[in-house]
Amino acid sequence: MFLRIVADSFGRRPRHKLLTGAALALGMGVATAALSVSLDVGDRLAKEFRSLGANLLVTPQADSLPLEIGGVDYRPVNAGAYLPEADLPKLKTIFWHNNVIGFSPFLEVRVSSSTPRWSPASAIFVKSAADGDAVLIGTWSNHPVALPDGGKFITGSQQTSPWWRVEGSWFQDGAGECIVGKAFADRNGVIIGSPLYLATTSSDGLSLKVTGIFTSGGSEDNAVVTSLSIVQQYVGKPGQYRKLYVSALTKPEDNFARRDPKTMNAGEFERWSCSPYVSSIAYSIKKVLPGADVRVVRRVADGEGQILTRVRMLLWLVTGAALLAAALAVGASSAASVIERRTEIGLMKALGAGSGTVGFLLAAEQLLLAFVGGGAGYTIGIILARLLGEKIFGAVPEPSLIVFLVIIALATGVTLLGSAIPLRRASRYEPAPILRGE
Amino acid sequence: MADRRATNRAMFWRIIRRLFGANRGRLFVMLLALGSGAAVTAALLNLQVDAKQRLTSEFRAFGANVIIAPPNISASAAGNQLLSESLMNKIPTEFEGRPILALPFLYLVAQASSDTSQTSIQAVLAGTDITHLPQIGAGWRFEPLVPAIGASAPKLLTSMSPTCAVGVRAAERLKAILGAQLTFDNAGKRASCDVVSVITSGGPEDNQIFTDMAIAQELASLSSRVSLILVSAEGTPGSIERFISTLAKSMPDADVHGIRQFTEGEAKIYNRISGLLTATVAIVLALTGLCVMAAMTNVAMERKNDVGLMKAIGGSVRRVLRLFLAEAALLGLAGGMIGGAAGIFLSIGLGKAVFGLAARPRLIVYPVAVALTIIVAILSAYPLRRLASIRPASVFRGEA
Repeated sequence: MFLRIVADSFGRRPRHKLLTGAALALGMGVATAALSVSLDVGDRLAKEFRSLGANLLVTPQADSLPLEIGGVDYRPVNAGAYLPEADLPKLKTIFWHNNVIGFSPFLEVRVSSSTPRWSPASAIFVKSAADGDAVLIGTWSNHPVALPDGGKFITGSQQTSPWWRVEGSWFQDGAGECIVGKAFADRNGVIIGSPLYLATTSSDGLSLKVTGIFTSGGSEDNAVVTSLSIVQQYVGKPGQYRKLYVSALTKPEDNFARRDPKTMNAGEFERWSCSPYVSSIAYSIKKVLPGADVRVVRRVADGEGQILTRVRMLLWLVTGAALLAAALAVGASSAASVIERRTEIGLMKALGAGSGTVGFLLAAEQLLLAFVGGGAGYTIGIILARLLGEKIFGAVPEPSLIVFLVIIALATGVTLLGSAIPLRRASRYEPAPILRGE
Repeated sequence: MADRRATNRAMFWRIIRRLFGANRGRLFVMLLALGSGAAVTAALLNLQVDAKQRLTSEFRAFGANVIIAPPNISASAAGNQLLSESLMNKIPTEFEGRPILALPFLYLVAQASSDTSQTSIQAVLAGTDITHLPQIGAGWRFEPLVPAIGASAPKLLTSMSPTCAVGVRAAERLKAILGAQLTFDNAGKRASCDVVSVITSGGPEDNQIFTDMAIAQELASLSSRVSLILVSAEGTPGSIERFISTLAKSMPDADVHGIRQFTEGEAKIYNRISGLLTATVAIVLALTGLCVMAAMTNVAMERKNDVGLMKAIGGSVRRVLRLFLAEAALLGLAGGMIGGAAGIFLSIGLGKAVFGLAARPRLIVYPVAVALTIIVAILSAYPLRRLASIRPASVFRGEA
């Protein structure tokens, strides 16, 4: 009988049920979309922030104090310490290796440039000089790193310095090619395709082909950038580098992350090193690179953390507002559906049904509606979240079970709450006046 | 004639009053649905406008994003090509209503030593205004913090000798601690300062020593010259671009450009976030409207009996419809006004929670929210049009 009444209620007034269900589905759709996007957005934005470049800088620990002005190191080549390039694959063996999305070693030497009158068309000569007017930078452009587990990881400056705008193309690693900064190119009349000679004292030197002209907005605009191996050979430091930029996906630092790991107890330390804080990633990199000093580029890391925290909070608030609105509208709709059934309730009570039975019956109906509406809403929401994710981040958020459970629970809670007040009143109805139409 | 019209109007309002008074529960439900919709609309609209502006201020966290350098940055030695300090006067303190912060730097390599150790090393000395350093060097850690101008200076700062802030690695090398006195030698000139702060930046600043501009100029024998000027401008990517080109025009003999690492990254992130915000808000608003509409339609549908009765006693379809639409519009007005006000207060609170600053209530949001609510309310009453075609008799027999 119970089921029959419920089924009858749905069959007899399909339009009303449809409307209440639609309100529920729409409301829960908003909630699902907002929740899915909020859950996903942190990771996506963290990736976006990598367009700011490296957030970790590795330098030799035993280094003398660099005399760096405007991005140019004024120390002679033989001063200071270097780090071995052979250690670099170890970066992908640390606990957070999946968070390390790119790294590139740098070796710089100051050079002077000249365009001798007798030189072939637009050829330019570069030679090492302590008081030179430009910098020769050796780095990776897109370098395959052979990992200890046999895999390959392709990385280089194209990832750690994504803001460099290269006209033409990047150089090929080890192919005798180079790119030059805009300021350098303008000064020396270099065009794409020009030859560039690296002069040495002993031999004829090396010839490089200019494949691109780039702007970085920094000191690199006055530099020649080429393969690390070429510069290593040129300055006689094979297999060594001086600076390493690492770009890692991190979690915004909180107060806990800022604590000194040395003051933590074992449990705290484990929690700290198992969170991808920029400081704990720096710590684990330091462990695999002996003799290296790993520093967090505060400007990038802190700015990123601050903005990420704010944006995440903002989205949670928008989600909260959406949930609230959906809940209120759904509650209103289910309240309306109970109010209009006074006569029916009166009749049921007149026939001897207790308040409990009536309430139970109506609640069962609402619950059924909540499940159907919530389910439909979840589907709508997932589609919406996909559209949003694709449009904004070019990637779709994964549908998650947690969101589904939250949505169903919310739908149930909201419909029951929305019906509770009118139901309570309904249970106090005297059947006689209602049936008389009063 | 005029008399009859007046009576009609009086009757019209009387029926409306009764419609409201007839069922308190229903009235409450309708107001709740409309009001909550209006509240969310107002809160999100207000927050959305505000959040985008606040976001641009947040990018201040990345510090300086514009650099003014000598025309060709090929300076072969530190003091070769320099800017005139008077360029500082050409930088406005405000652009398009947003504050601009500029700080000059003069770099030189000097022999530095500390009174806490015997070692003497070569280090980069940067002359600047260290009280403003924390604003330009966003993200750098200062220990202790250099107090901003106007704040009460601690004892160390009030001492007569000039002050300096030392990068953490330079401090390690010099074995300098807070309060130590550093001495610099360069080309026969000598100057000294007290360490008031140690800087950790993760960048080249860790190797540098920052002190007053006057000391650096004196040591380098370069009066009123600076190496470069760092500027921190806030605003949307477009407004920063305009600022750079305006500045470049006013300084033909200097090279003004954005620090691409940050201007480009900021622009990209700003566009993503504001796109996300707009899309989320738009979807939430659209669906909230639909939700409210569905809830309202449900309520409207049960008006069958009223419609039947009105028609039975001779009301024309148009007049009956007009009655219900007027009722819906009034409800929308009331719900919108209450909800809109609540929403604006809500957004003030939310703004405080997210950005630490209350969102400025924008008056334009209020009428927009009210208008939207009225439209939704009237649209929700629209299904009643179908009810106009029902036959009164069948309603009373309880058939429909």
